[in-house]
Formats: sequence, C-alpha cells, structure tokens
Amino acid sequence: MKKTGILLLVCALILGMAGTVVAKEVLRVGSDVAFPPFEYVDENTHEYTGFDMDMVRALAEEMGMEVEIYNVAWEGIIPGLLNGNYDLIASAMTITEERKMSVNFSDPYFNAEQVILVRINDDTIHGPDDLKGKAVAVQLGTTGDFVASDLPGLKKVARFAVVGEAIQELMNGNVAAVICDNLVAISYIQENPGKAKIVPGSFFPPEYYGFAINKNNPELLKKVNAALAELKANGTYDKIYNKWFGTN
Amino acid sequence: MITVKNLHKRFGNLHVLKGVSNHVEQGEVVVVIGPSGSGKSTFLRCLNLLEEPDEGEVWVDGVQVNMPGVNINKVREEVGMVFQHFNLFPHKTALENITLAPIKVRGWDKKEAEAYAYELLDKVGLRDKARVYPDQLSGGQKQRVAIARALAMKPKVMLFDEPTSALDPEMIGEVLDVMKKLAKEGMTMVVVTHEMGFAREVGDRVLFMDEGFIIEENTPAELFTNPQNPRTQSFLSKIL
Amino acid sequence: MDFRWDLIIRSMPVLLEGAWVTVKLTTIAVTIGLVIGTFVGMARTSKNKIVYGIASVYVDFIRGTPLLVQIFLVYMGLPQLLGFPIPVWIAAITSLGVNSGAYVAEIVRAGIQSIDRGQVEAARSLGMTHRQTMRYIILPQAFKRIIPPLGNEFIAMLKDSSLVAVISLEELMRKGQIIQTRTFRPFEIYLAVAVLYLIMTLTISRLVAFAERRLKTE
Repeated sequence: MKKTGILLLVCALILGMAGTVVAKEVLRVGSDVAFPPFEYVDENTHEYTGFDMDMVRALAEEMGMEVEIYNVAWEGIIPGLLNGNYDLIASAMTITEERKMSVNFSDPYFNAEQVILVRINDDTIHGPDDLKGKAVAVQLGTTGDFVASDLPGLKKVARFAVVGEAIQELMNGNVAAVICDNLVAISYIQENPGKAKIVPGSFFPPEYYGFAINKNNPELLKKVNAALAELKANGTYDKIYNKWFGTN
Repeated sequence: MITVKNLHKRFGNLHVLKGVSNHVEQGEVVVVIGPSGSGKSTFLRCLNLLEEPDEGEVWVDGVQVNMPGVNINKVREEVGMVFQHFNLFPHKTALENITLAPIKVRGWDKKEAEAYAYELLDKVGLRDKARVYPDQLSGGQKQRVAIARALAMKPKVMLFDEPTSALDPEMIGEVLDVMKKLAKEGMTMVVVTHEMGFAREVGDRVLFMDEGFIIEENTPAELFTNPQNPRTQSFLSKIL
Repeated sequence: MDFRWDLIIRSMPVLLEGAWVTVKLTTIAVTIGLVIGTFVGMARTSKNKIVYGIASVYVDFIRGTPLLVQIFLVYMGLPQLLGFPIPVWIAAITSLGVNSGAYVAEIVRAGIQSIDRGQVEAARSLGMTHRQTMRYIILPQAFKRIIPPLGNEFIAMLKDSSLVAVISLEELMRKGQIIQTRTFRPFEIYLAVAVLYLIMTLTISRLVAFAERRLKTE
C-alpha cells in the first residue's frame, strides 16, 4: 500500500516536471520583494507586484518564457545568482563597477537617484554636508549604503536588512536621515503623508537599474537586451512606467 | 521551659500527631523513643516550628511561639537543633560553620565569635579541625561540629533528632560523650534517639510515642524495667 | 574552485572589531541575565503565589517567543510606546539581557532546588531569616553547581547575540554581512565569521571547565 503510494507520487512528479519542460522554458527571477514600489507583496492579493515584477513578466512574455519569482534577502541576492539558484535578478539593482566584477548587467531599464529622506519637521538638513556628525540609516548593501559609507564625517551608518526598517529608524528618531532610492522615498511619503520629506536637490551621481545575469549565461543576456529593446520600442515599457510612476 | 498542649500535625491525609501534650522543665533531659513513623521526629520539629502545628500550642520560655506575629527567627535563636544527617554547610570550614550564625544573626563581631567557637571546638575535641571543610571530617566529627554550631548561639534548649542514627557504630560513642557532657552541665535537652544506654544514663524522663500519641512516660529506670502499656512492652522487647 | 585567502586576511581587522563587540555585548547581557535570573530564579521557588506567578509569566513569555521578535519589540516597538527613541546599544543589551535572565532563572531555580532541604533547615534552626539563608547558605552552594549550565548559557547567548544585527548593531555577524554585500564572496566571509565564533565559544567552554575544576578542589 505504502509502496504503491510512493510509486504514484514519483510518477506524478515526473509527469509534472515533464509537463513544464514541454510547455515553456522557465525564467527564474530572484528579487528581494520588500522594496515598494519596485517589488513588494500586495496586501490584498498577496502576489508579488511592483514595477520590476511587471517588467520581468513582460520580458518573459516577449522571450516566450514563464516567470518564476524567488523572494530572497538582499544581502544574499548576488551570491544566489552566482550559485545558480535563479537566472536573473530583478530587484531595483543599480549598475555599479563593483557589481559588474561579479555579474553581467542588462541595458539600463530605469534611472534612479539617491535622495536624503528626513523627518517632516526637520529644517536643519539641506544637503550631505549637514549630515556631518549625524547618524544615517540605510538598507544594507544598497547604493544608499555605499553612498553613505563614503560620506565623510558621519557619526554612524545604521544598516538594516529591509528598507522599511531603516525608515522606521528615522521615524523613531534614532537617525537624522535615510539615504535611499528616490522612488522608494516617494512611495513612502505617498503611503505615509505628513511624516517625512525629501531634501530638495541632486547630491549624488545618477544611476541606472539593470537586470543582473550570471556571467556564464551570455545567451540570456543577449535575449534579455533584445526583449528590453522591443518593449521600449512597442510602448509596453512606457505603459508599465506610467502605471507605477505617473507621467513619463 | 517548653510546654506543648494538644499538638496536631497532618501531612495531607496522614495524621502524624494526634494531640500531644507535655512539659519540659529547665535543665531537664527528655528522651523520646518509639517506632519509626510514631511521630517523634515531627514532634521535635514542631518545637522550633520547622513543622508548623495544625492545632495546639507550643510555648518556649514563656512565649507561645505558634502565633501569628511572633518572630520565629528570634525563637529559633534560643533553640538549638542537631540533625540526623548533620546538615553542615559544605562550603564553609568547621570554624565558619560555627561562627556564621553568631555573626549574622546575633551580630557578634568576628573575633568574639571565633574565640567562642574555639572554646566550643575544645569542648567537642576538634580544635585542630577548625580550618577543615566538612567533607574531610568523619561522620562523628561532623556531628560534633554540628553540636558546636548549635551551641554557638548560646541556646536555652537543645533538640537532637536521632543524632547518632547515621553514624558508623564506632563513632556513636564520641557523639554521645559530648551530649552527656552537655547534660551534666545542665542544658535543657530533648533527644529523639534509639540509644537506650544514653537514655538510661542521662535521661531524666523518657517519652514513648506511638501512632501520634505519647503512650507512656516515666523515668528511664521505671520505663525500661517496668513498662505499663503493652505497646511499650512490645517495643522495648524488640530493641533491648 | 577558487578560494580567496587574501579576502579573509583583508577582512580580519573589521571582523575582529565585530568580534570584540560581540564579546562585550554578550558579557554585559549575561551579567544582566545573571542578576535578573538570580532574583527570578528565587521567585520561582517562592511559596508566595503572586511572586511565583509574575516570575513564571516572565519566564514563559521569554522562553516561548523568538529572541528575534523580542529584539524588534524592544528596539522598534518600545519607542512607539515610550515616545522617545532607545539607542541601539541599550536596546541590544536590554533584549539580550532580559532574554538571558529567563534562561538563567531556570538554571538558578534548578540549582536552588538541588540543594538538600537539610541545609535550609539547619540555617533556619540557627535563627537565620529566609534572606540570610538564601544569601549565605543556598545561593553560594547553588552557584557552584550551576557553573556548567551557566557556561552553556553564555555560549548560547554569544551565538544568539548575532541576531541583534537586524537592528543594525555591527557585531561580528553584521560586519560579515557588510563585507559580503561588497565582495559577494559569502563562503570566505561567513567561514571566517564562523571560525571566529568557534574560537570564542571554545574559549568560554575551556574557561568554564577550568573554573569548575578550581571550585571542586576548593
């Protein structure tokens, strides 16, 4: 009885796997799904949603593949790609020279900027110079972390695993500012009006998000770049962009 | 010195003391005998309230001690107790065992307490063991230190709960000798024991307990040679 | 397969800095735990139902909830209640110390209960109060007996202290994470972190064994 059960189970598994292989190739995507509005879990549908998620689904469709999303912690996201846990990272990842040594990046698909987020009633901070002697919170291993780590004269950089915790740190009054992506800051302000504001001005070099792909998989890189170009050409990209960020 | 009236003690459903009354005069040596389970140890432990009586009165030196509001610690300062298993403090030397309570409870200074402790160690013949920890002492030596420890508080009464039962036979004598010396000095003593020789030699009075009652009491000479109650007779015939 | 020794060597100063934070954090937390645990452990042997009840709720709550949740509760949650921020160091030693206190309390309780009843009776029969009996007779003996489990608690706390990385305290684990997010070499970095933890825990168990032997011969 037990044996037949196991046998049936094995058959089902083999059939199931065969089924997926026959149907469509799978694009395995790694993402730290805690970075609204780029990737987050929808409160109502409990589905992975956000700009990156829509982008990656559109890309896969363009390439004739199916998407499977792996929600992974940010600090382990590149090692996971290198280990082959997934094929591509879509996680609001800035293209940096440092990261390029380990992974390949697709063509840029988003322009971002680091901003300084402060409490709504804080009028003492007008730029990075005003952060001297003060504590700043960031998400560990993000561009905000790298930018803050390079700023001279900071009292300390408090690094958190999730960007929401860094902003909570600001709200609790333990730090004077958070340095993060502009759209993350905007999204927070929209969700929590009257609590925080962005220090006006451009203080940090512009940056570009790219999809990270393992260096040993140049075919995928080629396919992704081709699909990305197509999405930009046929208007799909603009549609997704406007859905998340209003007017282009 | 000690008076008990109609003492009752229960442990759950077990009725251990069923109305015990007696009176111990100052300077008297009272020996309590009886089969195991007769309640004699419980009776003794009620005298310094190591067991709280359920009913009845315990009077020590003119004060009823089992009353709410009575500082039982003050009462116990005046009532020394020696246990079957010595209960020396293993983390303290013989000397420290003896001086701890006088210093912490009586508030003596260390020198004073130590001087008196050496006097007591002389009395029990163990001056040379002052700096030794209990686990390096023989059973008989441990019990003699325990007696010195109780005496250090200068108690008015000494209670002995089967002080020789846990000892090897060759060590019983040295402990009994110390107790006899105490009795001769006029210490009021209540002794639960199976040592009939001791009872006969120094006891002023013997109580025979069985099943929670004092069945019979008399001078040792009378009780041992001419017991009245059949249960006393049967008990004595087994152990003498 | 490539293994970058140079990376380990280059990371070592930063990791050692983190290890030192870990040592300080653990030592302070266990010290707090020892103080709390001694009193709560005694309370757990109390005949007073209220004292016993409060102590039991504390021990059950701490042992029945994840340390990670407790850390967030203290650091992120309490400021909301109090209306002022709690510095990360204070939050870390508080949550770890209070956590350790519950485990130490159970160790102390077991230690107290392992002491022969005759010890209490002897002390009380000499006129010593409950407090004096605890202080001079029971606790000194109990502490000798509980040195090995206290050593284990120290080791457990040293390992668990890595959890305060989540509130940005840069102890050994978080230092490793920071280097890893910049080098993407998790194997070398976490191996080095693991070895440093191992060195610390082995040192503690040696020290405990030594202390135990010393106290036994005494």
